[in-house]
Amino acid sequence: MFDLDVRSRKPIYEQLVDKLKEMIINDVLQVDEKLPSVRVLAQQLTINPNTIQKAYRELETQGYIYSVKGKGSFVNQLVKTENSEELQKVKAQLEKLIAEAMFFGMTKDELQALINEIEDQGKRGDRDDRQ
Amino acid sequence: MIVSNSISKKYEKSHVLQHVGLQVRKGSIYGLLGSNGAGKTTLMKIIAGIARPDDGEITIDGKGVFEDTEVKAKMFFLSDSLYFFSQYTIKQMADFFRDTYPNWNQERFFKLQQLFQLDMKKKISQFSKGMQRQVAFWLALSTMPEYLILDEPFDGLDAVIRKKIKNLLVQDVAEREMTIIISSHNLREIEDICDYIGILHQGKLLLEKDIDDLKSDIHKVQVAFREKPDTEVWDGLDILYKEKRGSVILAIVRGKEERIVSHLEQFHPVILDLLPLTLEEIFVYEMGDAGYAIENILV
Repeated sequence: MFDLDVRSRKPIYEQLVDKLKEMIINDVLQVDEKLPSVRVLAQQLTINPNTIQKAYRELETQGYIYSVKGKGSFVNQLVKTENSEELQKVKAQLEKLIAEAMFFGMTKDELQALINEIEDQGKRGDRDDRQ
Repeated sequence: MIVSNSISKKYEKSHVLQHVGLQVRKGSIYGLLGSNGAGKTTLMKIIAGIARPDDGEITIDGKGVFEDTEVKAKMFFLSDSLYFFSQYTIKQMADFFRDTYPNWNQERFFKLQQLFQLDMKKKISQFSKGMQRQVAFWLALSTMPEYLILDEPFDGLDAVIRKKIKNLLVQDVAEREMTIIISSHNLREIEDICDYIGILHQGKLLLEKDIDDLKSDIHKVQVAFREKPDTEVWDGLDILYKEKRGSVILAIVRGKEERIVSHLEQFHPVILDLLPLTLEEIFVYEMGDAGYAIENILV
């Protein structure tokens, strides 16, 4: 299904949670689709089954999946609200980039113009979709 | 569940183990790490019921282990120095284990042959070191142990076989909740399959922790400030190690990520990077904290 980077510094448990989240958000795993069982995934990825169990539990508390006793874990219906955690991350990145842009001499007005342009593009895209 | 209660062991006059108390949950893969001569093998021998502690006791599912055939029937100890009867073929050795272990699974023994591809009629002593180790795994896994104790098990095995064996181990843990205690010097080798880590140093258990908690509780911090910061920047943080490389300060800090970041951001750093540590690095710095530091000696 997917692979993990065992050489990465990131704990395997975190990698698993992130990877599955990504797949759910991007509809690679669809609503009510069954996730691979702990046993199967442990064998495929050669990692500790307890780690997978822990990742599944975490995804369940975060509302990404639900489990049916004796059947396994399934993808939950996601309400696409503002994901505050994601938003925070993007904001932090923007802050860094804007600071860099200003360092290289970009003015506030230029930034504002850029934002307007991006917004216009977004609106135009919406209209194109409708036609 | 394996529980050891303040175990101590002396050989001659040296204290090999001092009040070691560890707990291994059922279905867990427990990585036992330690400096050379820390007492890992002795501890494993005591858990396997081969050696008797001078003090303290060890129980498996509530029962004592030493010289108890009922408990030992459910357990397999794979020692770092392998032993086979001389002149025995794999087949003969398997017959011996079949008579010794009540849970021996002949069907599995034949199935595993396809995996290892070794000739059963050949004498074990004629195989190479790595192949002998494969034979040991083959026999061990055919006894269907509930508790598997592995002392430096991957020594001398090539990457393909290592992967195959790890895969077998993980399957047994997932399917029948086998419990594994594994010791290794190659920390990378066991990092991906362990869920619990115990670090032994000079006969004492330094720490025992869930591997993910261990990793999320220690960070490598790279930080730089525009102006020379006050010394109080590091106050209130648990620093294991600190080093200045040019204008960048590199530190190993214990604590949760959010706490470290929010603490350092008060001082407006120009660069602030946090990295999780590999198991190898955690080992090195924890050991350093315990007075077993790496010092580069010039010869």
